[in-house]
Amino acid sequence: MFDIFFVQQLVNGLSVGFIYALMAIGFTLIFGVLNVVNFAHGEIYMIGAYAGWLSITIFAPPLFVVILIALAIGALAGFSLERIAFRPFRRFRDEASLKSKAMREATLLSSLAISIIVREVAEKIFGSNMQTIPQDYLLLTPIEIGPLSFASGQFLIFGLSIVMLGGLQWLLKRTRVGLAIRAVANNPMGATYVGINTERTIIATFVIGSTLGATAGLVVGLYQGAIFPAMGFAPGIKAFVAMVMGGLSSIGGAVVCALILGVAEAVTTSFFAQGWGDLVAYVFLIITLIFFPTGLFGGGRERV
Amino acid sequence: MTKYYRTLFATICLAAFSCGASAQNKTIAIGYHAPLSGENAQYGALFRNSATLAVDEFNKSGRLPGVTVQLKFEDSKGESKEGVNIARKFSDDPSILAAIGDFSSGVSMAAGQVYAQTKLPQLSQTASHPDFVKISEYQFRNITTMSYESPLIAKWALANGAKKIAVVAIQNDWGQSVVSNFVDYVKANGGEITDVEMFNPGTRDFRSILTKVARGKPDAIYLGSFYEDGSAFLQQKVQLGLKQQMYGTSSLYSQKLLELAGPAANNLNLSTTFMLDSPEPHVKAFVKDYEARYGSKPDMFAAQAYDATNIVLKAFVAAGGANATRAKVRDAMAATKDFPGVTGVTSFDPKTREPAKLLTKLEIQNGKFVLVK
Repeated sequence: MFDIFFVQQLVNGLSVGFIYALMAIGFTLIFGVLNVVNFAHGEIYMIGAYAGWLSITIFAPPLFVVILIALAIGALAGFSLERIAFRPFRRFRDEASLKSKAMREATLLSSLAISIIVREVAEKIFGSNMQTIPQDYLLLTPIEIGPLSFASGQFLIFGLSIVMLGGLQWLLKRTRVGLAIRAVANNPMGATYVGINTERTIIATFVIGSTLGATAGLVVGLYQGAIFPAMGFAPGIKAFVAMVMGGLSSIGGAVVCALILGVAEAVTTSFFAQGWGDLVAYVFLIITLIFFPTGLFGGGRERV
Repeated sequence: MTKYYRTLFATICLAAFSCGASAQNKTIAIGYHAPLSGENAQYGALFRNSATLAVDEFNKSGRLPGVTVQLKFEDSKGESKEGVNIARKFSDDPSILAAIGDFSSGVSMAAGQVYAQTKLPQLSQTASHPDFVKISEYQFRNITTMSYESPLIAKWALANGAKKIAVVAIQNDWGQSVVSNFVDYVKANGGEITDVEMFNPGTRDFRSILTKVARGKPDAIYLGSFYEDGSAFLQQKVQLGLKQQMYGTSSLYSQKLLELAGPAANNLNLSTTFMLDSPEPHVKAFVKDYEARYGSKPDMFAAQAYDATNIVLKAFVAAGGANATRAKVRDAMAATKDFPGVTGVTSFDPKTREPAKLLTKLEIQNGKFVLVK
């Protein structure tokens, strides 16, 4: 059983895991700051993919330009999302509202509403079917290393995850914006009292998180050859599971858990029917919640 | 003035009488129900186009002198209860000798329960549920099901020298029937099934399934899916460097597959009943007439409806035209043999009323569907 096919299966699993990880990074960042789940993250991912696809079909720029366009559209989408779905609920500055659970859950639903609206609008405009991607842009070029087969997209996704994770750590630990984000994540009231512009910090978090999400969507769309309105849903669920397993606010933890999920699914598929793969992911989630209620990498007080 | 009216009345009577006497014009009708609104409205529109085309051609051809065939269309909205209402309405209309419809198996079967009681023959152009034709001896269909198609592909693969075959199909009712019919045939005819993999609807990453399939070292892979999953599967198969022959279900026959999968679709073998650029003259004529009248190219669904209508019209002729009754039309439909349709030569099994068709074999070469002889 432990032959070259098994190794290939691990490669497949890691590549799926990195896809979940790409999504989980932006997800966890926003959760860490606002302490709410951003259900529209999957749609940001889809918007990034469509922005890239539109630019490819309209004027066919080189790939890195396409990625830059997705980044820009992602930033814009993140800004708008925060403005429409999150800011209206922060109008009330009194302590009771800031601590209110109902307020938090309201944004959970408003982001869900935005996600449904955006997805339906995309379906109305582009149709619910998969878009045709020009062959030159597909990240499916086989790269063979010995008996193992990799795709060019797998390296790009791997590289992108490392860059995102590293870049984010640098941003959070070494820059003023990062310091502000960490301060707001840790104690929003305290941050306000010491003169941090909370509003601007929250916007910055959304813009950064959504940029990452949009880029992820584009790269994964090109790697799977599948860009369609509902593309953000399935990886969004897995990213959510990875975030919960990783302790809700630990970005590194979410990435590690995303990789565990991906590999577990692939290995399960190689021994059972594919349907069992999802089951394993959720069994992991439940086991984690029972034995590590704060997640595998949670526990600490400091968020992000 | 009264005199004037009296004369007019007399003239009209005379005209009507003489007309009836000279041409003995009788109207018989086909009741057609399909979704013209709602989610599947696009299919209903195609059916109406094709059926109107077929009936107009028939009336012009004069194959039944003195008889005009009328097409009565009703919108079932894709709902079973509408299907039942329409079936009652059609059954109460004495001019209707046969019904065609509906689009989905569900609505067709609901309407079929009514037709079974009122003994009105019903032909569905698309209902593929196994139980549809089992309702009563009044139900017919002219679309082939997987119990017909899968063994045919299995036979083809075995004939091409594939001994060990893996099957990958979507996890739903239809996918199950793709697999079971294929596996049974291969096993009964000396082949070996290395692996059966069902994938969840919505799967976009097939690498782990492909890696698992590759471990069994099959000669060929049979894929039962629609073109979106299919194109992702084919692309990832090429990326993983698997060299197995590919066979697929007729659901993959779509221009979109070629667009989405690009060169990865090459060498896929599949079958279809309707081929748009078929060299056969009657298919060419249908495509030309349809496009001239409606401004778009017909697809498989339009072709199915065109054949269904023509099968019924042929049964009207065989049942005696002006003297046809519902029972005679039913018997004539059951006797359909070697009907030269645009979706292939069709015969109905007189007992099970399941259709048999010559499936056209295709291979994708250089990004095009090419006929395999």
